[in-house]
Amino acid sequence: MEEMILKLKQEIIEVLNLEDVQPDDINNDAPLFGEGLGLDSIDALELIVLMEKNYGIKLQDPAKGKEIFKSVNVMADYIQKNRTK
Amino acid sequence: MEKEFSYVILDSGRAVVNGRSLEHEQTGNAMLAELYRAHIGDWPKFFKMDTLSKAGFVASELLFKETGETRCGQDEFTAHRAVVLFGTTASLCADTNYQETISDRDNYYPSPALFVYTLPNIVTGEIAIRGHFRGETSFYVVERPDAAQMAFHIACAFDDDVTDSVLAGWVDSRRNDDFQTFFTLVERGALEGLEDRIRTIMNNLNI
Repeated sequence: MEEMILKLKQEIIEVLNLEDVQPDDINNDAPLFGEGLGLDSIDALELIVLMEKNYGIKLQDPAKGKEIFKSVNVMADYIQKNRTK
Repeated sequence: MEKEFSYVILDSGRAVVNGRSLEHEQTGNAMLAELYRAHIGDWPKFFKMDTLSKAGFVASELLFKETGETRCGQDEFTAHRAVVLFGTTASLCADTNYQETISDRDNYYPSPALFVYTLPNIVTGEIAIRGHFRGETSFYVVERPDAAQMAFHIACAFDDDVTDSVLAGWVDSRRNDDFQTFFTLVERGALEGLEDRIRTIMNNLNI
């Protein structure tokens, strides 16, 4: 799981262009939105694309993203349970 | 009476503020990032912008730094500022980048982050949001640089009797790493000689 979390953090940094952020800067339990990384609604859409492109997970209900993107830990857990690739 | 005016020129290998060259080692987008880190540094959204917005954002910040506006829009004067920009290729660069995310049927993942920049006036919004400017924002897509046309539209921005100053200029990006930018600040009552000043700077920009 640790390896998966590190990979996910690297993917998030890359797709969201978080230029000056390192994987270690992202707390596994910290909220991705609001405070924390200060992500916005466009970033949420990019994360939905990331899940589909890299893990074959198609979110039918984008509102579910709010729950899934609560933190890196929650997101990694969801990916591991639902990935198709 | 003509007033002293400040200007910034940025192109893929050059950064000039009021005739002084700023030091940089990189070119293109890497140069914009280098300038951002050296002179700005407190707006991480910069890294999400397309080339057009990055060039406009850095040029505007360098200009405000030169004019001593450390934080714009906090007083009534800068709040009544308009942003009036011009360019020939509009959002062509962002359009091309976005198209690449949808051109392959087997790898069809439209990027929302690229899509939001497929309008040229986004750069005016990025600047206005950062500076808290509440005046008119316009981006004119023109056939070619025309100092008279630019001076005319800049002057029109003052017709509302509210606008106190206009951040005006040229910003164009045909491809990633390829951009030409000229920004200046025009204050109400300082329109005399504007067309000539624009013409002189634009001739220097090698568009």
